[in-house]
Amino acid sequence: MEADLFISGIGGQGVQLVGKTLALAAINEGRHVMLTGEYGGHMRGGSTISTVVIGAEPIKSLPNLPSAGAAIALSHQFFENVATRLRPGSLVLAEETIAANLPQMADPRVTTVPAMAIATQAGNRMAAGMVMAGAYAALTGIVSPDSLVVAMKEQVPAYRRQHIETNERAIRAGAEAVPGLAFPVVLDMADGDRVEA
Amino acid sequence: MALRLLDGSEAIVDAAITAGARFYAGYPMSPATELIEFMAKKLPESGGVCINAATEIEGVNMALGAAAAGFRAATGSCGQGLALMQEAIAEAALNETPIVIFNMARNQQDYFQATRGGGWGDYRTITLAPKDIYEAVEHAQLAFHLADKYRVPVIFMGDNILARTQMGVEIEKRDFGALPEKDWQLDGTSGGSGASRQIWTFGGGKTNAPGPGPSEHWKRIAEKFDMIAGIEARHEAAFTDDAQTVVTGFGTGGLFVEYVVRELRSEGHKVGFFRPVTLWPFPGEALEKATENCRQVLVFELNAGQMIDDVKLNVTDRRKVSAIGGVSFDESGLNLGALMDARVIRERILAAMEVSNQ
Repeated sequence: MEADLFISGIGGQGVQLVGKTLALAAINEGRHVMLTGEYGGHMRGGSTISTVVIGAEPIKSLPNLPSAGAAIALSHQFFENVATRLRPGSLVLAEETIAANLPQMADPRVTTVPAMAIATQAGNRMAAGMVMAGAYAALTGIVSPDSLVVAMKEQVPAYRRQHIETNERAIRAGAEAVPGLAFPVVLDMADGDRVEA
Repeated sequence: MALRLLDGSEAIVDAAITAGARFYAGYPMSPATELIEFMAKKLPESGGVCINAATEIEGVNMALGAAAAGFRAATGSCGQGLALMQEAIAEAALNETPIVIFNMARNQQDYFQATRGGGWGDYRTITLAPKDIYEAVEHAQLAFHLADKYRVPVIFMGDNILARTQMGVEIEKRDFGALPEKDWQLDGTSGGSGASRQIWTFGGGKTNAPGPGPSEHWKRIAEKFDMIAGIEARHEAAFTDDAQTVVTGFGTGGLFVEYVVRELRSEGHKVGFFRPVTLWPFPGEALEKATENCRQVLVFELNAGQMIDDVKLNVTDRRKVSAIGGVSFDESGLNLGALMDARVIRERILAAMEVSNQ
């Protein structure tokens, strides 16, 4: 099966970085991956969505996903672009302070994470996306937090290397902030046995 | 197996270099810009040369020169740049110089200019239209093979989705079989030595080796393209045996059509899909066979109707054929628009099936 995920937020929150970190972590664990970005004008303050598909086999999903089974919401703004595409029973991992403002969705299973607070404690509130990535990994088991840390280090640009330690703390704190494997995703499973995340 | 997470553009460049590409000259133009950026970075590391030419016309003619000297050479742009290159592509077809043109299009409006032979003379251009990055990695290599095999220009037809989606891929060198010796390649031997080689668009020659002349030369070129048409047509299809509706699309559009058709099939709808993998040669005989028993043929393409001409030429009853695509760009005008969406395609197929059932 394939696990498909939207990460949604505002340009500048590091949404694309979170998507790429998850994708690279999955690649490093021997998974197949597809990663695309949808932007509202390539700028800070605009809508930004990263879509990540992870599978045990070559990916069959479309590059712009008609639907997905999970979402990470870093902001309520622009989330309607994602909410309308979530399948019933989807996991919605929401930043705690914006969760109440999310639009109505069909039968979501919302889990909130105080990502801003955890990131601030880890050293930088801008690492909230990394907290969410760690939480998503722990909830689903799709990649290990260790792989996320390795992937994050691989792709943080040279001029931002001073953030690596904070990012690592954020990933690990995110993973510890949620009940492990509460929404398990088993990738090594035939399509017919699909279990929604 | 070690997969690498690559942009489509980077995967295409890596595949081209793996196939032996050693020369690229082009001019940046979105969404083909990343292609020349990756070429500029990677070709020199492989002993090759990448030149940011002053214009598309200059770029394609540089590629023509490198190919005439026997190197695997390419240029690239999007549709607007491809239009500028058409004269040189015609020259390459008529003087039998193998070049590859990467057309990372902004849409699907380049079908005509890729498949009809966009310049002067009786020729066509082999056009490969991969549906996704996996297939693009194969086609970026196949393009050079076919160019060398037949001494023809080959167009690789991509788009912004192909260029910018990232996937985990492994680039392996593909073996498409043996190729003839390049006994025609210019080797620097100069005129007067009796051993110089010449590449002629007009079929001329030299005193000790007269050419066939224009008429015979161009007749032979035209026959060569007829021969290629009989050999190289490729397609992918499924569920056409008992389908009442067969849906066609190419490139990314073909991928989306396939996705929606598989979804509709799983819900019990009698629908199939047919995707030309080569836009030229168009897999006409296969399409004719795949649409023999169906009630209607739908054509999904993001233009006002271009491939639909080839579909109508090959489906036995052209009245069965109708369009479900249209012109669709995003706000910038540089990318595929909102119509490239599985939900929209699904609605349009279902609506057409409802009409057909009435």
